[in-house]
Amino acid sequence: MMRVLTAALAIASGIIVLLGYFLRQVFPLFEQLRLLLTDWAVVIAAAAVLVGILNLVTVQMDKLRARQPGGLYGALMVFALVVTFGLGLVFGTDHTFLRAAMDAVIAPVEASLLAILAVTLVYASIRLLRRRTDLMSVIFLVAMLLFLIAAMPKPFGPLPLVDQLILDLTSLLSTAGARGLLIGVALGTLLTGLRVLFGMDRPYGGN
Amino acid sequence: MPLIEFVSAIVGFVLTLMVFSYLIGDNPLFRFAVYLFVGVASGYAAAVIVNDILLARLQSLPLGDPALLVIGLIPLLLAATLLAKLFPRISWLGNFAMAVLVGVGAATAIGGALTGTLIPQAEAAVDAVDPRSLTGLVGGGVMLLGTVTTLAYFQFGAKRAADGTVKRNAAVEALAWVGRVFIAVTLGVVFAGVYTAALTALIERLNSLILFLKSILGL
Repeated sequence: MMRVLTAALAIASGIIVLLGYFLRQVFPLFEQLRLLLTDWAVVIAAAAVLVGILNLVTVQMDKLRARQPGGLYGALMVFALVVTFGLGLVFGTDHTFLRAAMDAVIAPVEASLLAILAVTLVYASIRLLRRRTDLMSVIFLVAMLLFLIAAMPKPFGPLPLVDQLILDLTSLLSTAGARGLLIGVALGTLLTGLRVLFGMDRPYGGN
Repeated sequence: MPLIEFVSAIVGFVLTLMVFSYLIGDNPLFRFAVYLFVGVASGYAAAVIVNDILLARLQSLPLGDPALLVIGLIPLLLAATLLAKLFPRISWLGNFAMAVLVGVGAATAIGGALTGTLIPQAEAAVDAVDPRSLTGLVGGGVMLLGTVTTLAYFQFGAKRAADGTVKRNAAVEALAWVGRVFIAVTLGVVFAGVYTAALTALIERLNSLILFLKSILGL
């Protein structure tokens, strides 16, 4: 019974949203219902993120209790989470304390993680050539190097004609490939969505 | 410099060095910085969700209008049932909220994929071919060829041959090979884009470290 109810709820809400998308000119009511359901979904998705964070806390606390390796890092994480959440709840998310947490921790660590990617990417491309020296790896690396040479500033200024030619050529080939990949991803999304709406996939626990 | 900004700058400086220590290998300093980051970011996200979405909704409920009140309460009740997912015995309670979320999400994804990607990209692939000029014809032709062959690469329909091996059609196989070349170039360019962004971040971080040291030393 539960399976049928949840599947019916998912299919009905999905179909109403789809009708709101494609028949909004003919039936404006469906458009209003679509907006209402999407608004509900935003609230539910927010709660789902909250549940995910609570689950993260539970897992880290279990690790600490079981004295697993890395448990102390988990305790640090939970402490930082609780303090930030408490300050946000009491003072609001626009308060100086929360802005300081953003400036002192979130922004520098995010930027630093992206920065060390510059080194790890070079290491990864060297490893790629060592492990798999086939035609496609060579094409991949040559395209990357050519694009970098053409796009990056040079001490003696841009190479007239050559830079533009490289950029035009790589842009033409990569746009074509990216378009094929995008269409492929969209087809996959379409099929996955349809499987959910036909009740063939039930990722909401109705299986 | 106000005290809170000064403390922020010192903490940011130290955390940057801790993250950079990963370049000599995985170590406790790097882990400390990353776990702290995950904790603060999760706490911040949770505070934004509770303050700006859940509490804001609760405070804006139209208490004078019963019909609107019910409509406003339904998502909050569904959201509350999601908490049951943390307890295995009553986790089924959260299935209704998940069903609405997945149904709406699937329909939105279908609408977005159709109107936002499939139709415009297919139109753009065809429109790129301009038979009135040689560059339009060649450029558009290459673009169309790249799109079609890239899609062919992901065509995994195959037949069983007489010797028992499973093989794709020879024409599809040839198209897929051309598609691989386009995919390799595309991923190479994407890799270069990510590398450029990472390099920009590296320069910004190094610059901020130098500026902080200069301000401390009064240079």
